[in-house]
Amino acid sequence: MAIVLDGIVFGLQLSLLAVGLTLIYGLGGVLNLAHGQFAAVAAIIGAVLVGRGHAPLVAVTLAVLAAGLLALFIDRTLMRPVYKLTGEARVLLSLLLTLGAAFLIDGLLIYYHPSTALNLSVPRLGLDLFGVRMRGSSIAASLVAIVVLVGLMLFLRYARFGKAIRSIIQDEVGAQLCGINPGRVRTVVFVLSGLLAGLVAATQAMISSVGSTDGLNFTILALIVTVVGGLGRVSGALVAGLLLGIVYTLASFHIGAFVTFVILLLAAIATILVRPSGILGKVS
Amino acid sequence: MGLDVQTGADAVAPTPPERAAIVSPLRAYAPVVVAAVVLALLPLAFGGSGYYRTLAIIMLVYAAYAIAFNIIFGGTGQLFLCLGALGGLSAYVSVVLTQDGGLPLLVTVPLGTLLAAALGALFSWVAVRRNLDVIFIGIVTLAFSLVFYNMVQGLRSLTGGETGMVVTGGTGTPLRGAVSYYVFVALLVAFLALYQLIDRSHLGWAFRALKNDELAAELAGIDVARYRIMAGAIGAAMVGLTGALYVHHEGFISPSVFNFAHLDVRVLVVLAFGGIGSLLGPIVGAAAVSVLDEFLRPLGQLRLAVYGVVLMTLFLFFRQGVVPTLAAATHRVRDRVRR
Repeated sequence: MAIVLDGIVFGLQLSLLAVGLTLIYGLGGVLNLAHGQFAAVAAIIGAVLVGRGHAPLVAVTLAVLAAGLLALFIDRTLMRPVYKLTGEARVLLSLLLTLGAAFLIDGLLIYYHPSTALNLSVPRLGLDLFGVRMRGSSIAASLVAIVVLVGLMLFLRYARFGKAIRSIIQDEVGAQLCGINPGRVRTVVFVLSGLLAGLVAATQAMISSVGSTDGLNFTILALIVTVVGGLGRVSGALVAGLLLGIVYTLASFHIGAFVTFVILLLAAIATILVRPSGILGKVS
Repeated sequence: MGLDVQTGADAVAPTPPERAAIVSPLRAYAPVVVAAVVLALLPLAFGGSGYYRTLAIIMLVYAAYAIAFNIIFGGTGQLFLCLGALGGLSAYVSVVLTQDGGLPLLVTVPLGTLLAAALGALFSWVAVRRNLDVIFIGIVTLAFSLVFYNMVQGLRSLTGGETGMVVTGGTGTPLRGAVSYYVFVALLVAFLALYQLIDRSHLGWAFRALKNDELAAELAGIDVARYRIMAGAIGAAMVGLTGALYVHHEGFISPSVFNFAHLDVRVLVVLAFGGIGSLLGPIVGAAAVSVLDEFLRPLGQLRLAVYGVVLMTLFLFFRQGVVPTLAAATHRVRDRVRR
């Protein structure tokens, strides 16, 4: 039971991470392979600020904002030529360019901050849940994730801008005819995904420490969750995140880390082959 | 690098001239012969220096990988992001069978190559059957790369894990010593000839047809599935052979040699440099990458960052490849001068 709860805690982080990636794919048909690196950047900035004696809350807020700024920069520079293309050429170029960006960020972080890591866990606090002692920081991380995810769902469903996002995902030309500017919406969502990734760095740092080498892992995990949930499906990403979080925690407890990763990857491959639209999608 | 796979969407790009089959055999294979002669004479330039030989062999190996990728991706638009895993699988199978099974290299290297070919064919077959587009082939093959990497680290008793292991199978064969350079020259020249052979055969015609317009090719009676699978199998076999030979030459195997961030990315850079679908482009690109690699060696982890920048720059500004872009530019200048 304790492991399942841990799995749910981790799964919520995965959902939070994957939502941004899947929204960007849904909106523009592009894949951002530097997504996890946004989280790593936020973690390092946060850790450096904490190290200089800033209050954790201030440091984390600034770090998340920095991840958003980085996303804005990448959208304005790298993504512009990508959106000029269409179809497969677009997704291919986005893949190659963001891969380059991911290597650049990873290389810089690992070179300049090889052992810096953000750790926000508060080990003393705790709470009994279903007869299981839960760490306070795990509960806090989950609460933050739940609040943000529910807020995001409500925003997409009811807010004017959220409706604009969904209309572009459904039909870009139709949305354009209704006076929606897809380019602007894409930029806003790209920044949003950067902020979300930055937030994951913070919430994950409450559970365990997040360092400069974790960007690649975050990207791969986000990609797996996005694929299993169905590329471009927000609700799919939420369900897949929780599911894979539980699988990940159970498997790494019982079998071991290498096999766990292989199981997740095989889940992604199987999803593409059996049900390309994701676990909530139709059987093809 | 030609990003206008299948869709032909890159409107800025000039359409490549219809190459190949009309050209006489003499003209088609002349570049291969020239490359062979130049590569064979290269040791005269660097003398007996082992340092330059090592560098030259790395160049030949990257060029060989790039030619294989050129057939799979350039030929039929299938984005295989698992070159390292295919080459590594073949290499590990060959090494383990030689070391633990006591089989000779002449058996284990072909076995590894065959396994890589079978996997390549399997990926292509699955992609065709499930009608996967470029992004899904990319994700599936990337996932396979990571599965391979994790398996190698997990099966420590067999593979030596992250630290790798010493490979003794190559000692006493032409794969070691000064002759080894010529083994890899022969390999590369064979690949070049094979590339040209494919380009001029019915395979080449089919590849061009299905890349331009898959539906039209299908309607014209081309068995698209069959040609995709053939491209996947041939390319993967080339990758597997190169990987296995390289490891036996090196005398050492570790997962980092075949890591995605190491091998696949360098091959992408090689092709982006030399231009996709060009015969000699891979050699030029591989020379550039191996020299760059040598210059960047002292940088350590910053090397990764530099490769990120190189990757972005190449795909932002030289989408047709650096060499083809420069060639087109010199053509324009020459035309202007003539007028």
